[in-house]
Amino acid sequence: MPANGAQRGFQRTDQNSSGGRLAIVLLATSVILFTVSCRMGDEGVLGGLRSAYQTVTMPISFVGSVAVQPFQGLGNIFANLTADQETLSQLEEENKELTAKNAELEEAQQTATRLQALLDLQDTYNLQSTAARIIDASYDLWSATVTIDKGSTSGLAVGMPVTDAYGVVGQICEVSATTSTVRLITDENSGVSAMVQSSRAQGMLNGSADGTLSLNMIRTDQTVNVGDIVVTSGLGGVYPKGLPLGTVSAVEKYDGALYYTIDVQPFTSTESYEEVLVITSLTEDQEATAEDIAAADSQEVASNSASSSSTTTDSSSDSSSSDGSDSSSSSTDSTSQDSGSTSTSSSSSNSQ
Amino acid sequence: MQIKDTNRYRHDGMILGIICLVLQLAVAPYIAIANGHANFAFIFATIFALTVGGPTGVGMGFLAGLLYDLGATSPVGLMAFLLTLSSYLLGIESRNKLNDDPTGALVNGAIACFAVCFLYGMTMLMVGDASSFLDVFLTRSLPSFFLTALFSIPFYIFFSRPQSSGATLNRSLGTQMPRLNSTRRRSRSGRLSTKGR
Repeated sequence: MPANGAQRGFQRTDQNSSGGRLAIVLLATSVILFTVSCRMGDEGVLGGLRSAYQTVTMPISFVGSVAVQPFQGLGNIFANLTADQETLSQLEEENKELTAKNAELEEAQQTATRLQALLDLQDTYNLQSTAARIIDASYDLWSATVTIDKGSTSGLAVGMPVTDAYGVVGQICEVSATTSTVRLITDENSGVSAMVQSSRAQGMLNGSADGTLSLNMIRTDQTVNVGDIVVTSGLGGVYPKGLPLGTVSAVEKYDGALYYTIDVQPFTSTESYEEVLVITSLTEDQEATAEDIAAADSQEVASNSASSSSTTTDSSSDSSSSDGSDSSSSSTDSTSQDSGSTSTSSSSSNSQ
Repeated sequence: MQIKDTNRYRHDGMILGIICLVLQLAVAPYIAIANGHANFAFIFATIFALTVGGPTGVGMGFLAGLLYDLGATSPVGLMAFLLTLSSYLLGIESRNKLNDDPTGALVNGAIACFAVCFLYGMTMLMVGDASSFLDVFLTRSLPSFFLTALFSIPFYIFFSRPQSSGATLNRSLGTQMPRLNSTRRRSRSGRLSTKGR
């Protein structure tokens, strides 16, 4: 029998066969790594090594997350099956609160969107303006007006134009200390100096008793098409030049007529009136230029020379005394307008 | 003449490593009791230690622990230390304990599992990454121990089977450890056959 110490295979011949020395070395290495990691955190070599390892193994983690998803749903089902009545009641109550809060947040988001649109409008047109909120509307048989929550104490005055994010709303016709009444452009006593944006044909946008808008005094030799955008012309110095009013929805030309019969669809609608801007003053570049005025005058002269009926015109092209009030509530026979250069009776403006 | 197939056993070792790595990355994060998760790095290191042991087991334990630390948010080196130590202690006899003495191996493995989970939690408590002992023990260490023990069962069963199909790793790196009770294998010196009778 050989000595036990010489047996191979199931007795250690040296201490390394149990890995003692290697264990000591690796344990010491682990302690060093642990100490360095505790001191340096995610910085240094260990942090870089960790991030590299996690980057390399990310696909495996992703596959695991996808594979486990159906089973996570199963877990939720079992958890829900054992939920007691108290839990269900709490969840229902929480659901109601969250639904109400969600509605509030949606409303706030929509308000924020509208206000942002107003700000954008203010920036785009460089409007000197004050924001206000519509607090009341009046759609009686005689007038189309709304009431806003700002008045003379906020610097508002009669004649100031009012617009929202989409286009012109109207003009202030009455002012109190804390509120103002705005006559809408659809009111039959309303008139806004307007022009077709593409062809620069100038005319007058008037409201009517049934709330429709018509663009008058556009000669038949000028170009107007359905879909053309109608904007303020700036004549008269009331509305800033270029504010959107509406789009042409119908154009009719009658035999022998001097002017088109043009229907305009406004950009704004009464249902969307909430926040508005009141334009408190105009800058120089927001008013009609001398060329615009000259063009309007020449157009008027051309229409007068071709017209068979007598027309009364105001020869002063830059008079502003009649500019401010296009909302005279006492005017019942003639169309109120904001253009100082032209005043025509409505009966002669639309020759049939 | 017995033909060694070390490539195949090396291949088995690699497969075990890949399986445990994938399970640790893809499955372990989504299976939890309280805040405890299964530790497949421990399973890998323990299987190696119980079937191979010796320096190989120690090295595999260190490697498994290091990879575990790199994938976790805890300080690097902690699990490497614990798995190196447990692999050394479990594999100190450098034999296939899992095959020779499955019950004993199972008990040793369970004790090692509990010790690793407990010491890991306590160390995290000491370095300030955990708030209280009860929180660490009840919601992390104990659940981790249960889950790790549960998931290690299939591996233990697989690797404790008889060696007819080569379900062992003890030859994967050329460590030729003759079995104590084997009557089929002949040692080169012939002493084993004498001893085994």
